[in-house]
Amino acid sequence: MISRVVDWLDERVDLSGVKHFIAEKGVPVHTQEVWYYLGGLTLFLFVVQVFTGILLLLYYRPSASEAYESVQFIVTTVPFGWLIRNIHSWSANLLVAAAFAHFFSVFFLKAYRKPRELTWVSGVLLLFLMFGFGFSGYLLPWNELSFFATKVGTGIAGSVPFVGKFVMRLLRGGDDVTGATLSRFFGFHVAVLPAITTALVAVHLLLVQRQGMSVPLPVEQQLKPGERVRTMPFFPNYILRDVLAWYISLAVLAALALFDPWELGKKADPFAAVPAGIRPEWYFLATFHTLKLLPSHVFGMEGEHLGVMGFGLVVVFLVLVPFLDRRASAGRRSPLFTALAILGLVYLVVFTILGHYAG
Amino acid sequence: MQGNKTMRTAVLVLALLAFQAFQGRAEAGQIPPAVNACLTCHAQLPDARLSAPAAAFAGQDVHRNAGFRCADCHGGDVTAVDKTRAHDPARGFKGVPKGEAQIAACAKCHSDAEFMRRFSPRQRVDQAAEYVTSVHGKRLATGDTRVATCASCHGAHGIRLVNDAKAPVYPTNVAATCAACHADAAHMSGYTLPDKSPLPTNQFALYQQSVHYAAMTKGNDLSAPTCNDCHGNHGAAPPGAGSAVNVCATCHAIFGQKFATSVHAQIFDRGCVECHSNHAVLKPSDELLGTDPARSLCATCHSGAGDKGAAAAAQILGDFTRLTSGLERSAATVARLKNAGMEMNAQDLALATARTRLTLARTEMHTFEPAGVTAVVNEGLATVAAVDRAAEQTSAELRFRRRGLAVSLGAILLVVVGLGLKIRQIDRRSARR
Repeated sequence: MISRVVDWLDERVDLSGVKHFIAEKGVPVHTQEVWYYLGGLTLFLFVVQVFTGILLLLYYRPSASEAYESVQFIVTTVPFGWLIRNIHSWSANLLVAAAFAHFFSVFFLKAYRKPRELTWVSGVLLLFLMFGFGFSGYLLPWNELSFFATKVGTGIAGSVPFVGKFVMRLLRGGDDVTGATLSRFFGFHVAVLPAITTALVAVHLLLVQRQGMSVPLPVEQQLKPGERVRTMPFFPNYILRDVLAWYISLAVLAALALFDPWELGKKADPFAAVPAGIRPEWYFLATFHTLKLLPSHVFGMEGEHLGVMGFGLVVVFLVLVPFLDRRASAGRRSPLFTALAILGLVYLVVFTILGHYAG
Repeated sequence: MQGNKTMRTAVLVLALLAFQAFQGRAEAGQIPPAVNACLTCHAQLPDARLSAPAAAFAGQDVHRNAGFRCADCHGGDVTAVDKTRAHDPARGFKGVPKGEAQIAACAKCHSDAEFMRRFSPRQRVDQAAEYVTSVHGKRLATGDTRVATCASCHGAHGIRLVNDAKAPVYPTNVAATCAACHADAAHMSGYTLPDKSPLPTNQFALYQQSVHYAAMTKGNDLSAPTCNDCHGNHGAAPPGAGSAVNVCATCHAIFGQKFATSVHAQIFDRGCVECHSNHAVLKPSDELLGTDPARSLCATCHSGAGDKGAAAAAQILGDFTRLTSGLERSAATVARLKNAGMEMNAQDLALATARTRLTLARTEMHTFEPAGVTAVVNEGLATVAAVDRAAEQTSAELRFRRRGLAVSLGAILLVVVGLGLKIRQIDRRSARR
């Protein structure tokens, strides 16, 4: 049946190029190949987000007076609405976790080295876009926690030197978090960010397909002159493994949605006192806790301003890693960047745990 | 001798000038105090009885802040730097006003509406008139100088406004202020109740056990009643047995209205106090109702099979028990379902409504008419039943979800196993090639 459909298409649009690409494409086989699946897993979770997000859009109403009630309606009345909403919430978190893991695996394996600099840059930008999705989506249920966390989060954005106030007003749609903020965040979440992400994902995938999977430096260095790394066919050997990982993640998602459903909480009340325990999503906790620990003034500057500038520099550094790590690009080991990656990972884990228990 | 006196006078004048200069700086923003030589001299006196009032007045004092001087109450010449002139009766010196003289000294200003308006337009001016009607005032009129006068509660020097948390008449301090005399057995000896029994001195100890004291001190509720809220302050007097209901109903209005329609309103000599006590008002429980002699208050008077009151008490207690147990059961079910991730906000709201019905039923109980109580309780039970029905549906939905998940996971597992087998087959085929 499938072959008849392919033949039918082939007669009309000439699929020989695609067929050749699929037949020839191979994936390196070595001891580190398990990390290759993280990219596919991240993509799968993104597709889950798109699919469940579209279903939620059928009922969600993006206004301060209706947002909370519409989410409540989805989880209580809409058939399987609870499942879609819970999978959307859990998948968002697993997606960020998978993106983090993918990012660090590429960092540690130095897969960003020449000629894959642009793949890395697009990947880092996609990681930050995922943060943007998480930040904008968190407010959409318009509950107490998300409302005050957004106040804090956009307030931190306001600490960016020179453009902070402008960025804060741009995000909030005014001086404070209101229904206007919700409308904007909804716009960012379902239109602006998906458009940019789709384009970047296309570029990222195109580059990956064009350049193939990167072989880790140690594996490459063990090859004898003229020897090529062993590969497995992308289709069907590798793609079936990818699908297997997707199915397992789907089972995890379904179990999480049922046994640890995402709480809706209380409706946001802008006039209520700030409730205890306000904190952002787990992937912002390390940043949030670092800013909390900074003294109010450092070297005559406001501590928060300095912290935000520091994080800005880290972002710039991360984007430029392939261009700074010249040893890796030259095919040599670069222990400095491995050490930096370990430092970054330890910092994120420790400060996330500290932020979680700091209350 | 004359030289010594001249020298002393010169020192006093210099000290007075220095004091005034210091005062002028320290009191910036307040009404500048006029010349007040009394403070200068009294501050230096070795006898604490004479120096302490000056020190208190020189500190935080509402009258001093408003520009008043010692002579405004004590008379005399505030500009004189020698005692003879300052304390000259010819210059109006009255000394320490005590008893009725003290009431008059305070009332001179505080009963003058036109005068008081200059300082505090909304200030009451009937305190002295009320005081005359109080037990304190009446006994003072008979010559009893042990009773409380203005200074007993407000202080004489260093007086603070009522809304100052350090004032002895601030709501949280009132009970302790009254207790200074009323808990002092020696001071209260000789005073009796209308039935000639000795006036108790345990009111403060009893009040400290009450819900009112807890609300005031632990709940920080300044509107919670303290001594003056029931007894009055300037016109302080026991409410009297007949008016106890009216006093309680000042705050507990609905309870007062319901009780007024009851048969007990005509029977109870002490109104609310019969069941709830007066100073030690404890948190009431449903167990006060019913016919169990060990716990029930009703059983004090009502017992026996043919007693209508006992039957009514038993019925009301039964109604309360049905609603409270129904509420507890439903709340536990709703909490369990919420923990399982089900959305139960509507049921939470309904349970809050049912709890309101329980509160209303407990209010209605003060009519001591079981039919009225049952009607309210039934409304609450109907709400609880609706919550139970919704909870049963939600439980069914949860079971469905869990079965669905089990089926889904089974299907996913089959696909995973199938994929694994297929991958192995393909890998073998690739290896052979």
